[in-house]
Amino acid sequence: MHDMLQFARGPLFRLAFLVMALGLLRLVILALWGIGQMIYRARDHNNPYSKIVKTTLTWLIPIQRLHRIRPWLSYSSFLFHMGLIVTPIFLLDHIHLWRASIGISWPGIPKTAADALTLLVLAAGILLIGIRIFNPYTRRVSGFMDYFLVLLILFIFSTGFIASRPYNPIPYETSMLIHVLSADLILLLAPFTKIAHCVLFPLVRMTSELAWKFPPEAGKDAAIQVHGEVKPI
Amino acid sequence: MNKRIVIKSILWAFVSAGLVLAVARFFLGLGATTALSDDAPWGLWIAFDVMGGVALAAGGFVIAATVYIFHLEKYRPILRPAVLTAFLGYVAVVVGLQFDLGLPWRIWHAMIYWQHHSVLFEVAWCVMLYLTVLALEFAPVALEHPFLQWPILQRIHKLLKFLTIPLVIAGIMLSTLHQSSLGSLFLIMPYRLHPLWYTPIIPALFFVSAIGLGLMMVTLEAFVSSWLFDHKPKIELLSGLGRAASVVLFLYILVRFTDLTVRGQLGFLAEGSWQSLLFFFENAVSALIPAILLSNKKWRSRPDILLSCAIMVVFGMVLNRLDVGIAAIQKSPGYAYFPTWMEIGTSLSIVAAAALAYIFCAENFRLFIDEKHEEKSPEALRYEKPQFDVPSQAWLGDAFARNFSVFSIVAVLTIAFTAAILPSRALSRYEAKDVPVQAAQGWDILKIDGNRTGEYVLFDHKDHIARLQVTYGEREGCIKCHHARLPKDGPGRCGVCHSDMYKPKSNFDHAYHQSILLGNKSCAQCHPEGISKSKETAKVCSECHRAMFEHIDVKEPDYYIARGYVDAMHDLCIPCHTEQSKILGRKKLAQCAACHANPPGPAGAALNIENADELPRK
Repeated sequence: MHDMLQFARGPLFRLAFLVMALGLLRLVILALWGIGQMIYRARDHNNPYSKIVKTTLTWLIPIQRLHRIRPWLSYSSFLFHMGLIVTPIFLLDHIHLWRASIGISWPGIPKTAADALTLLVLAAGILLIGIRIFNPYTRRVSGFMDYFLVLLILFIFSTGFIASRPYNPIPYETSMLIHVLSADLILLLAPFTKIAHCVLFPLVRMTSELAWKFPPEAGKDAAIQVHGEVKPI
Repeated sequence: MNKRIVIKSILWAFVSAGLVLAVARFFLGLGATTALSDDAPWGLWIAFDVMGGVALAAGGFVIAATVYIFHLEKYRPILRPAVLTAFLGYVAVVVGLQFDLGLPWRIWHAMIYWQHHSVLFEVAWCVMLYLTVLALEFAPVALEHPFLQWPILQRIHKLLKFLTIPLVIAGIMLSTLHQSSLGSLFLIMPYRLHPLWYTPIIPALFFVSAIGLGLMMVTLEAFVSSWLFDHKPKIELLSGLGRAASVVLFLYILVRFTDLTVRGQLGFLAEGSWQSLLFFFENAVSALIPAILLSNKKWRSRPDILLSCAIMVVFGMVLNRLDVGIAAIQKSPGYAYFPTWMEIGTSLSIVAAAALAYIFCAENFRLFIDEKHEEKSPEALRYEKPQFDVPSQAWLGDAFARNFSVFSIVAVLTIAFTAAILPSRALSRYEAKDVPVQAAQGWDILKIDGNRTGEYVLFDHKDHIARLQVTYGEREGCIKCHHARLPKDGPGRCGVCHSDMYKPKSNFDHAYHQSILLGNKSCAQCHPEGISKSKETAKVCSECHRAMFEHIDVKEPDYYIARGYVDAMHDLCIPCHTEQSKILGRKKLAQCAACHANPPGPAGAALNIENADELPRK
């Protein structure tokens, strides 16, 4: 059991973490290149870039626009993301693992705060799944991965929470092994599933912001690209 | 999928694995990544990357000589690929050498610090110069590209074309020197290299074999690129190369066996040892079989035979370099060398990178002059029809995005996989073994040999006392060196605290202090109440042991860790010797040999230091 835990924390984690980091970087490069190609092919040099960047950044703040239409979704999703980002990075136990392996460390949050955030993530996640199931519109557009990923995240948080308790009913190493293995799985999946929105979200927003701003003549160039000469498509 | 994309993906996989290995090698060192040792300081990176790479690049000068010097214009179509292969081969050699050098940032030293007696000096200069020559020979091809049509570049282009013949001659000269000087490196080890491989004419053997290998490498590369870029190999031309190679390979075999006969070492062939079998195998594959096959006109006109001969010679001659560099070198008892997978992976990734560079040049430059070459203008690229993914109707992007999306996913997965399977020793720095110091022996003259290798330093203790007391006074003279002393003891011996030869050691015995200060109640005597108990917050030694640190200049030991013995001794002796050598104007006083004499003699003896008696002495 100990060896398996060491394997999941060592080689397997290195694999999963690098796949996540480099895979996401790859997606960012592809998205940026796509935006560049779009601007180049549209031959448009008068884009209101400052406005585009401003709108893109405003969209990053989650509870500005959506909360009027769907407040429950908006707030639970915001809290879910907050906990999801802060807890794994600033948990002292995780920082200690980083320091022990490659010698870098950063300030962490107190254990009670981490526990509170974990419970918050669990509550918000259950709420999100509930909204997804009980709202007929979202239910229709949801696939397997949409449920699986949220459930996987909830699973990771709950196993981590249980493993760090003194009154842990299962043996420590077993619960930790499950926690680490499922965390490795989600890191591995990150660049290939919708988790990639963690880096692609602003870029996708920027693409559509840009596309809305193209001049009316841009269609002509598109026609040339498809047909080779100017004629109605 | 397009075969070129598959091949390029595989090559990118090797290159990205190599990137991880490069990080491990350059940040964590040779000890973490290689199986090299003091007994086998030259391993795969020298034998394969450098010696094999240089030999494989021989096609460049051979074909250049054929076309420009012997005016066999028929061979002009394979000139550009041959020069490119040679250039990339030499770049690969230089990159591979960077991995192998202990201090790679000092590679330029050979340019400034000349050591005319060293073969490596010749090798270094040949590599630098021939790499430059090859770059200049290939530059005109690159400068034909439509993106590089600036006036200044075109002027350079014209100049280079004008200089072609001198460059080719320089290339032939440098290659001749360099191919053979790699063999000369092994002239200094007649007792380490097995007698079947060691010969005084090994430089000549290297040169002759390189010509045969160069011809066959060009053939192999012509077959591969014709398969990769869908054009027909010119069999008539390649069989001409085969004919020349046959002659050269026969000559090589003849010289090799004549040499064995003349030196009287033929007996080793009948020995039946693995070396003799390896020798037979190597010569059969690298020279004898291909030479026979290629000598027949009918056989060498068949593409399959030509290709298999090329593969045999390339494999066999690289095997020859591996034999000379690794296999035939006799190891000391108890030592063995087999490259780690990281060394093998690095070598493969360098080859893969060179192959990728070759494909890039073939796709972007006019490498095959009689093949049609389509140039796409930037304007045409803009109106290239977009490609769509059939199921999702998503735009696949332009050529760059399409290629990048394939190759980058390969790279991400290989990088992650390679980083995951790195052994634990490659993730942490190489650690020196414990080598406990043994106390110096003697009284007036001390024999200092902490690690017991027999290479001791004779330290004239009495003489040093005399000199130091003149300069610094009766007491100060002693504590110049004996800076700390143990309780109830006189000046302590160095090895008591500096107890390991190479590693810093803790010299604080916590359990002992705890016991003599009467157990757990005594914590507060060193660790102040109210703050966490650690090394950092505890009292420093000198607060209690007032007499222990004689010299106020000596800094408090960092958390009670004493430096390794070698470092401590060097730190003590060298600054003082350097200072004195400047004051007295005697350079030799500060040189290594002042103490590390061979054979060992008393330091300061007239053997090493001129006019030693002029130094201050009581």
